[in-house]
Amino acid sequence: MPRVEAAEWVGEPPVRDTDAVAALIPMVRRIVAARVADVTAAEDLVQETLARVLAASGRVEPGMLEPYAIATARNVVATAWREEDRQRRNQHRVVDLTAPDLPEGGLLAEEERSAVAAALARLSERDRQALLAHEVSGRDTRSLASELGSTAGAVAAQLHRARARLRVEYLLARDRTEPPTERCRPVLFALSSGDRRRQREVDAGRHLLECDVCAALSQPLLERAPQRDDEVRIPIGGDADVVAARQAARELAGRLGCFSPTDLTLLATAVSEVTRNIVKFAGSGEVVVEVLDEPRRGVQVTARDAGPGIPDVERALQDGYSTYAGLGLGLPGARRLMDEFAIASEVGRGTTVTMTRWCGNR
Amino acid sequence: MTGPRLVSILRQGSYLIASIHTALDDTQMTAFQHDLVERIGRDRARGVVIDVAALDVLDSFASWTLRTIGEVARLRGAVTVVVGIQPEVAFAMVTLGMDTGSVHTALDLEEGLEFLDRVVGPRRPAAAARGGSA
Ligand SMILES: [Zn+2]
Repeated sequence: MPRVEAAEWVGEPPVRDTDAVAALIPMVRRIVAARVADVTAAEDLVQETLARVLAASGRVEPGMLEPYAIATARNVVATAWREEDRQRRNQHRVVDLTAPDLPEGGLLAEEERSAVAAALARLSERDRQALLAHEVSGRDTRSLASELGSTAGAVAAQLHRARARLRVEYLLARDRTEPPTERCRPVLFALSSGDRRRQREVDAGRHLLECDVCAALSQPLLERAPQRDDEVRIPIGGDADVVAARQAARELAGRLGCFSPTDLTLLATAVSEVTRNIVKFAGSGEVVVEVLDEPRRGVQVTARDAGPGIPDVERALQDGYSTYAGLGLGLPGARRLMDEFAIASEVGRGTTVTMTRWCGNR
Repeated sequence: MTGPRLVSILRQGSYLIASIHTALDDTQMTAFQHDLVERIGRDRARGVVIDVAALDVLDSFASWTLRTIGEVARLRGAVTVVVGIQPEVAFAMVTLGMDTGSVHTALDLEEGLEFLDRVVGPRRPAAAARGGSA
């Protein structure tokens, strides 16, 4: 593989893998506890989930750690259920259920080949030709580019997209799954290509919380996604996460070097307010802090939950509306602290607050 | 709470000096409020200094908690003064639309103690200070 493309996939494991995974524990516990009543069994499944997430965290895009943990927790619980069910159905048989009674190796290899063939068939002709020329015939991007009258960079980008699509189609064919909604494929492509802007456009994070099929597929897709260091994602599950979110936002924004201490404090305070709203009204959710380069340099904060939603957003933005602790400054206060502020909320589906502070503004 | 101490509450004459050493979450902030209010009664304090110089954020909940402490302390006969609010933090509080309400503020610990000496009289042992109006 030519060097430029290899670089897309190479990333240093995050230094604070363990911390990041530890931060997921309350959320994983909640997910498992909601599905498994037995406390001891639930804790075993929590530990198994965390072990898997930790093992994969070096290969997983940091930004998608939380959805990935959610998907893993669901899969681990579902597998445990299937296993329990199998044990129950087969209790009368005195055989070792764990010993395979099929020559599964050969069978799996055959299934794998047909899945790859099916996936290739679903690509566009252009993508398929590019991939085959590159991967099978070993043509490098430069010679492909001169043949196609394009640039090496454009060919590399096309290959990147084609490979991302191939991974999605391969997993769908392998699992014999057809995505349940029209939003699924765009979300899966965005995850597979590690295209952050596209992930935002299709609201991939929320879709993973809502769609079991995509949540399950996100695991293998994200294991191949590139690492990022201009984004931090904080799973929110309790009071302590409010502090973690505002500190993470300050830290990331501070690294840009274009914010004054006052700017950083205003940002941290706004993050504190919107994160507290998640804890108070939805119980859990996530906060994403990312660096923006367009239209100019700045920091964008997205606070997202799948909670009850806000029936009247206009009113929620008026001072004094929110009633907890006799305060109503959360959302309107945060809006005053930031340069841009938007809320999307749907009753019964959740709330997303997006707010931005631009560099060197005031 | 475990680990390094998040707050300390020291007695000095008829005053309590409470210092917050690190960022507190809402649960910890509420625990601090309860501890401090309890100490005000137990030590029969006439004045309370809350030092927040170590805090990089005073958001709506933290501001509201400081205000509550001040009002509860007042009802129990003590005057509260918050000291050490950092300039950026003060600016953020104003922008947020938050202030410490009826709670007094001073630049630092020294000025906070001077303020208490002016409004509740000089520092005396707590027992002797009892009986005056707050
Ligand atoms: Zn889906």
